[in-house]
Amino acid sequence: MAAKRWNWRLWAGFGLSIAALAGYIFYVNETRAVFWPALLVFVVAAVLLISGAKRRSREPEVYRGKIAGPVLTGLSVLVFAFFGFVAYQVSRVFPAAKGAPQVGQRSPEFSLVDANGQNVALAQLLSTPIANSGGAAGATKGVLVVFYRGYW
Amino acid sequence: MKPVAISADTNDESQKLVSVAKITFPLLSDSQTQVIRSYDLLVPKGGQDNRDVSGIAEFLLDSSGQVRWRHFGEEDAERLVKEAKKL
Repeated sequence: MAAKRWNWRLWAGFGLSIAALAGYIFYVNETRAVFWPALLVFVVAAVLLISGAKRRSREPEVYRGKIAGPVLTGLSVLVFAFFGFVAYQVSRVFPAAKGAPQVGQRSPEFSLVDANGQNVALAQLLSTPIANSGGAAGATKGVLVVFYRGYW
Repeated sequence: MKPVAISADTNDESQKLVSVAKITFPLLSDSQTQVIRSYDLLVPKGGQDNRDVSGIAEFLLDSSGQVRWRHFGEEDAERLVKEAKKL
């Protein structure tokens, strides 16, 4: 009797799910757009898992995967659910920001009050030299504007 | 290189953060979220008690106000310093 064939589709599908999740998490800080490629990889993973499961159910003497099938599929579903959770958190922490100034564009002017009640305007920050702090005082080299979620 | 931080916190909340975290750079209070919206970073109802908050982002501006580098999401101080040095 021939040895049963390894049901590689099940393992490939599971492997791709992990890769999609890992890739998404690794790259999402660069751009939220990585969500769509990750989703596409999950679709391919699902196709492989379904295809692997079908082969097993149609030809159980030929293909392995009686236990691996449901287990790998179940795990992949969990991986996908976690991906959904992460994607939701990402959307809450950083918006698509299509209208944010791009590299090369001028930043919008702003004027806000700081924690001491003093008014701080971007134009003023850009034109005022940095105060002498041990080195030679020089023209301002720029401003780093950090947006944060807030104290909670 | 001057850092400033902006959030939708009120002045009181910013003050608390300054003293708790011993922050030495200006923490600007954009409680009407006008500046946050001008940067298209608004996360409506994204904060505690469904308050509007800002998305997390960093913009490095040169002395003419032009954006030279930007990043969405948190970033380490090391990377920020490295990008600032390029100006």
